[in-house]
Amino acid sequence: MTDVDDRELGALFRAAASDSGAPPPRFDHDSVVSASRRAAARRRAALAGGAVALFAVVGVGAAIGLPSSPGHDASTVAAPMLAPNPAAQPDARLDPGPPADAGSGQAAAEAAGAGAPPLGPGTAECADRQDRALRTIVEQVLPGVAGAPEAATTMECRPRGERGINVEASDGGAVGLLSVQYLPPGTVVALVPGAVSAPTASGGTVIVSSRASEEGAPAPFAGRLESTVAFLAPRL
Amino acid sequence: MDEAGEREFVPDTFEEYFRARRDAVRRTAFLLCGDWHRADDHAQAAFVALHRHWRRIRDRGALDAWMRRTLVRAVVDESRRPWRRERFTSEPAHASSVPSDSDAVATRHVLVDGLRSVPPRQRAVLVLRFLDGLDVAATATALGCSEGTVKSQTAHGLAALRTVLGDALDDLRPAG
Repeated sequence: MTDVDDRELGALFRAAASDSGAPPPRFDHDSVVSASRRAAARRRAALAGGAVALFAVVGVGAAIGLPSSPGHDASTVAAPMLAPNPAAQPDARLDPGPPADAGSGQAAAEAAGAGAPPLGPGTAECADRQDRALRTIVEQVLPGVAGAPEAATTMECRPRGERGINVEASDGGAVGLLSVQYLPPGTVVALVPGAVSAPTASGGTVIVSSRASEEGAPAPFAGRLESTVAFLAPRL
Repeated sequence: MDEAGEREFVPDTFEEYFRARRDAVRRTAFLLCGDWHRADDHAQAAFVALHRHWRRIRDRGALDAWMRRTLVRAVVDESRRPWRRERFTSEPAHASSVPSDSDAVATRHVLVDGLRSVPPRQRAVLVLRFLDGLDVAATATALGCSEGTVKSQTAHGLAALRTVLGDALDDLRPAG
């Protein structure tokens, strides 16, 4: 084939692929974006299902293994699951040190956190999401969060693997929005008033804030933000 | 994805890229698979995949190459599935229906029917070289093979096309 032949063939191929007589496209930008988001949602659901299955397997394994465990350290893994509910102890004093009511549970949880690798950054996708892994850890320190409905959030892009949950929490008579954010190393944001932050084991930052649903009303878990941050920091 | 249209095109947004490239991607997909509906399916799937990876793609100047690889892989993979496996034939494809003037629609029918008879990898080489205007090196990069393979696949593909179309291939060439 000569160059002339190549040019002729090029013209022939372009004529064959011309749009004249071709049906109109069956997809547009919006349909592509919608399909992409559906695919991302399916992927997240599959990952969540896998995580649930993994938790179930680990839980069954721990339940089977604990009775025969000879050492004291081994039992600390499951201890947080058996710890008393701190939310049921409204007079807990958390700032000076571990709360008396949650002492054994928190100590055990911290021991477990020290032994396990920190959670670290999550995925970098844009989504309307609440981070399930982070919520699981938050529920260990704030059992009252378990079952709390997720607050409505808009599409969020977390290009560096940020994690976050926003829940409509109630703590006794206090009702409002509890937010927990994990920022990967190198990420800097301005704290909202009342938020508490701390560096984490993975080099990132954890931020916890609480806002009452009505102005002037008490915010849920307002007195436990610092202890919550202290609990989360070695685990993230 | 014609070569002339892609030079120095570095889109800022996915939407910008989509609007600039949708028709070209459709055309490439059409010649790769020979059917506009399947071409739409392949093109849409490629754009969906691109949208999902958009934020992680650092070299926005390489988007066309990425789309070509995705399209070719999808069409070749599809041709390997038993329920969609294409049949190769040595029978001339509508050779008798070649018009004397190079009407675009007639040209499409004859050439596309002929391309259907060319094995998928050879067809991909022909489409990238003669529709998208890629040279041997760029085609090799797009397909992940050596330049020697591109040259041999081009020769085999054109021979196969000529076998199927016979003199019709020469009749289709634009005058002058």
